[in-house]
Amino acid sequence: MKEKTQVADIDRSLYDFRFEEDEKDFLGSGMAPQLIKDISAEKNDPEWMREFRLKSLEIYNKTPMVEWGPSIEALDLDNIITYIRQKSRMNTDWENVPDDIKETFDRLGIPQAERESLAGVGAQYDSELVYHNLRQEAADKGVVYTDLESAMHDERYAEMIRTKFMKLVPPTDHKFAALHGAVWSGGSFVYVPKGVKLEIPLQSYFRLNAKGAGQFEHTLIILEEDSYLHFIEGCSAPKYYEASLHAGCVELYVGKNATLRYSTIENWSKNMYNLNTKRALVDEGGKIEWVSGSFGSHISYLYPMSILNGRGARAEFTGISFANEGQNLDTGAKVVHNAPDTSSYMNTKSISKGGGICTFRSSVTVNENAVGSRSAVSCESLMLDSISRSDTIPAMDIRTDKADIGHEAKIGRISDESVFYLMSRGMSEEEAKAMIVRGFADNVSKELPLEYAVEMNNLIGLEMEGSIG
Amino acid sequence: MEKVILNKLPVPTFGWLGVNKTEREVESPVNTVKKYDVYPDTDGPSRIDITEDGRYEITVSASENTENIVIVYILAKKSQISVNVKASAYSKVRVVEIFENNTAVIAASDAKLDDSAEFETVQLYLGGDDTVSEIKASLDGRSSSFKCDIGYLLADTEKLDINIVASHKGRKTISEIDAKGVMDGRSEKVFRGTIDFIKGASGSKGAENEEVLLMNDSVRNKTVPLILCGEEDVEGSHGASIGRINEEYIFYMQSRGIPAEKIYEIMADARIEQIINRIGDEQTVARIRKALSGSEENE
Repeated sequence: MKEKTQVADIDRSLYDFRFEEDEKDFLGSGMAPQLIKDISAEKNDPEWMREFRLKSLEIYNKTPMVEWGPSIEALDLDNIITYIRQKSRMNTDWENVPDDIKETFDRLGIPQAERESLAGVGAQYDSELVYHNLRQEAADKGVVYTDLESAMHDERYAEMIRTKFMKLVPPTDHKFAALHGAVWSGGSFVYVPKGVKLEIPLQSYFRLNAKGAGQFEHTLIILEEDSYLHFIEGCSAPKYYEASLHAGCVELYVGKNATLRYSTIENWSKNMYNLNTKRALVDEGGKIEWVSGSFGSHISYLYPMSILNGRGARAEFTGISFANEGQNLDTGAKVVHNAPDTSSYMNTKSISKGGGICTFRSSVTVNENAVGSRSAVSCESLMLDSISRSDTIPAMDIRTDKADIGHEAKIGRISDESVFYLMSRGMSEEEAKAMIVRGFADNVSKELPLEYAVEMNNLIGLEMEGSIG
Repeated sequence: MEKVILNKLPVPTFGWLGVNKTEREVESPVNTVKKYDVYPDTDGPSRIDITEDGRYEITVSASENTENIVIVYILAKKSQISVNVKASAYSKVRVVEIFENNTAVIAASDAKLDDSAEFETVQLYLGGDDTVSEIKASLDGRSSSFKCDIGYLLADTEKLDINIVASHKGRKTISEIDAKGVMDGRSEKVFRGTIDFIKGASGSKGAENEEVLLMNDSVRNKTVPLILCGEEDVEGSHGASIGRINEEYIFYMQSRGIPAEKIYEIMADARIEQIINRIGDEQTVARIRKALSGSEENE
């Protein structure tokens, strides 16, 4: 009988603590117009935002569910808590954050990371940001990193936000974009002025503590010409038996010759429906680099999209997914080449075990005007047992002859030949298989910031068991 | 007229891409069906010419240890053609279908393979205003195999919509899908190719590849190569290469004195020639060459 490589479950003890939420802070569940008005009033929205929310609600009610992807029938949208009132005002001093929230982020190591390796940190707890801080030297360069709600009321940024908010991901995009438009709360606003290169990353951390709740944060990042930013987002939640929902939205505007690196380590609990939408618009000579690690959640729909809108704009997507028992991770990326000489590269790896399902889904669209464009997609999947699933669903839509488009995909298991070779060099079978799986994920992990690469290696802890032979 | 849904992608994807299915209108009630039953013929291939518009059903029943070759040449303007293959253990079935300048054709092939059965199909599309074609192979038996070669030459406003599905059910089954095509004018094409490893198909291998040469900036090419995998012990791969000829290759050819426009012509011919070479029947190849030279003269 063949002995299988045993890859240990992700140790979630770090994330599975929780604090009791106070139900009087819940504004309500479901999607009634009055609830939307209440959220808007609670957040002191400008009038245009109040109307935007109500319009999004109308769109939500008219938009059908998607007809592809994993089943989300078990998600009862009428009973998801859409907004939880903040316990205190947002703080820029860590000591003023309420104790239970502070303890949560302390245990996740956020303040420590801020001290050691970040230029700024935002921390969201349930519906609202509780902490936001930016190093003085970054602020002195004109970098803005704050919560979106405050920025909307700041006359320096109000118009910028009004003209860009949900323009890349309009509420008509899909049902959960409409839901987001109606109930969004929290998230970050980042502005990097022309010529500013921020060498140290900014990080937002999203924590959903409440049972049966939704988190709908909105991240809006604007990079002016010749600027650079590395933005990191991390997500986690304790496990409940009730379904939770994350329907965030990320809109990224990358200016001429600017570069944005957007790294995500998503480690939601296994009761989470992660239906997130991320999109970047890249101007002439600009570059978007997505680095994405999907490890948590029960169901994920996640396909960051890059719209290459200026000559010579570039997109790179590097992603890894690890699906274990009870998980159905439908992830990938989308690229639209909408200008001449644009280029895109996707490189993804997925690992499924214990009945987990990994799906790589992508699209590459090359419009008529994108002459001289190039795209290459490479995806590899590793199946560690026969109760799991791994599907690859790429699509290419090419509308010009002056483009070079390549695609390759592989699916398989750990090859006996590779194991045999390593064993002939003196390794045990367990060590050989462990090395092969680590090697499989290596070119993705090396794209991650160091502390996240270490976390990812911990997440993919290998454990060999049983007698071999 | 009746609306029918055709060429459904086994697992749907983003709706806005418009690749999950296609729809066509067919005449209703359907005309009388002309049926052909094909059995092994030691004298050579069974040849079926479809010249009249209508609906056709071709059934190939391959008994154990037999070799069966069927060549279907479709000249009718409007037709619906279905080919059903039942390949018994250790049988070999080869179906060649040539589509020449049709107006509206809907073709569907469905093959079921027993242990060690081999099914090979070659489809060549020489133009055609609107062709919809589906090939499904169910590799039920252990060590059964499916090989599919597709070639197409599209110009003007011609449309081609293809859906190929190889379902690996038996152990140690093999599938190979290879498509090569040339698109010019304002032609449109959708190619869907699916390799589906169903749980239990251990030791199976599947590979698919498409190479598309685009000759005009008004073409519209969609390629959707799927690998679905519910079995650990398999090897699956797909590749696609779409666009222009490699610049280094053009430079090399030009350095040998060949003008750029001629290089594209040579490369287009070479792609189709590779598929023609896999037909393996001189009479059919001669007919194709005549059709190709005819179309060149018309140009």
